[in-house]
Amino acid sequence: MSSPDSPKGAVVAVRGLVKTFVQAGPWPWSPERAVRAVQGVDFEVAPGEVIALVGQSGSGKTTVSRIVLGLEEPTDGQILLDGERWDGRTESDRRTRRARYQYVPQDAMGALDPQQTALEHVVETLAVLGGRDRAQAKADGVAMLQRLGLGERLDALPREMSGGEQRRVTLARVLALDPSLVVADEPTSGLDPDRRASVLEALVGNLPEHAGCILVTHDMTEAREWCDRVLVMLAGRVIEEIDLAESEPAHPYARILFDPWSGAVPREPLATQGCPYQPNCPLDTARAPDSPCGRAVPALTAMDGPEHRVACYAHGSSSQS
Amino acid sequence: MSDSTPLLALEGLAIRAPGRMLVEDIDVTVLPRQVTALVGPSGAGKSLTARAVMCVLDVAPGLERGTLRYPALDPTRDWYEGVRGQGVRAQQRLLAQTRHLRGAWFTYSPQAASSALNPGRTIGRQLEIAVGRRDQPPANMGAEIREILGQVGLDPRVSSALPGELSGGMSQRAALAIAVAPKPRLVIADEPETGLDPVLRRAVVELLVTVCKDYGAGLLLISHHRDTVARIADHIVQLPGQEVEEAPR
Repeated sequence: MSSPDSPKGAVVAVRGLVKTFVQAGPWPWSPERAVRAVQGVDFEVAPGEVIALVGQSGSGKTTVSRIVLGLEEPTDGQILLDGERWDGRTESDRRTRRARYQYVPQDAMGALDPQQTALEHVVETLAVLGGRDRAQAKADGVAMLQRLGLGERLDALPREMSGGEQRRVTLARVLALDPSLVVADEPTSGLDPDRRASVLEALVGNLPEHAGCILVTHDMTEAREWCDRVLVMLAGRVIEEIDLAESEPAHPYARILFDPWSGAVPREPLATQGCPYQPNCPLDTARAPDSPCGRAVPALTAMDGPEHRVACYAHGSSSQS
Repeated sequence: MSDSTPLLALEGLAIRAPGRMLVEDIDVTVLPRQVTALVGPSGAGKSLTARAVMCVLDVAPGLERGTLRYPALDPTRDWYEGVRGQGVRAQQRLLAQTRHLRGAWFTYSPQAASSALNPGRTIGRQLEIAVGRRDQPPANMGAEIREILGQVGLDPRVSSALPGELSGGMSQRAALAIAVAPKPRLVIADEPETGLDPVLRRAVVELLVTVCKDYGAGLLLISHHRDTVARIADHIVQLPGQEVEEAPR
């Protein structure tokens, strides 16, 4: 099922992704409501590349990351992993490749078995999902736990570990599988800044060379320090794509997100027509009498280089077709 | 008493656990309408200091040195009198003696807003209980609750909602409303921004400061975020402390 338009070598290619959830009303007799969580997202992740998906709660970043791994099905669009369609398959069909595409959850304690030691967690994953024999799985598991600084904690149960150690166990069992893609959903939430850095160092520093990584986060320092490229999401769309080593955010929403004290915080609800940020936008373009901002959604457009794209009429975007 | 009489004057706090000092030589002052930030690495004793301020001590052998005054409440009383070096029993007595102050003269806003809200009671009812702790209850409770909700940017209809029906940002606002509803003189907030995205974080902290100032209260803020502290704090108390691996959850 290889697809002709898949980019050569990309680990992940997301094409025109749309996801609409049907949400029940507050009462049994209330009408159902359609929630448009993702409204047309395209991006790729190259081997060895770490990208960040950032945005506020409800921007659709977790939904995108779950659809990429096949944990949710898209309403429309395609997911290609290593050039092959991944969406719309049965789990038994995905099973043979499952070990290559791995997920690091937000709640480490909830993801660990309270009765298994650190080493048992990794060995079981390697034996069951990775298909390695027990002796090999054990040797590989010990090696990976040692690399992540848990060499002395092989026999510790989850309740005996600190929050940072629990997280490193969830990382060890993912990294030991030699994955080609790791999707980490806020792997550092609830940790303080110093320990956040050590968890990310464990993740990014031990990724296989050929692997791509998607980090979902709302910590902008993490995105800046650990990621090659950042996708800023707002209302189910990517509104800016940027390499922070090269340029600074240009979209007024991205600027507030990266430096919340740099201007007024958005107070108005997002617009449902046109640019979602338009009711809060401080730029003159949004107020101009013939402004396109309230009429149509701006398309992602290259700014100061192909690596930096922004969806804002003030920065030269045209309307999304 | 002048308007600038300190709300809190904690001096020389030292608390001991078996074999080591947990905190030592800590001074914290909070003035009306001002923000004092408590910062420092994990394990430096930020939360413990906040608990000592609220007279909630349950460490053995515990409080060793220090004086605690709420000068705006009682200019002379040292609340640690008879507790210093006297162990757990004395700390429990202090806890009982100060019960009427907690949730009234000073209030506490914990890290997770959702944990501060009672899941089985509507926001309106919880606010009613909090308002009821004031010295002088308002004539019109309904109007008062609508006003508090408005101050934290919540719709009056939130009054009939249960905590489970609110989003994360709304829960934070509701918890904040409950913390200020008793018209406390001192608000103690332990990392109110935990788990929030940057925009919401700024909004919540700004709201906290604004509401405290509107009510004439002082704010003791524990925070990890240097940008937040730099923007809003009038005084910063930096706790020393060594890096220690956090305790198991």
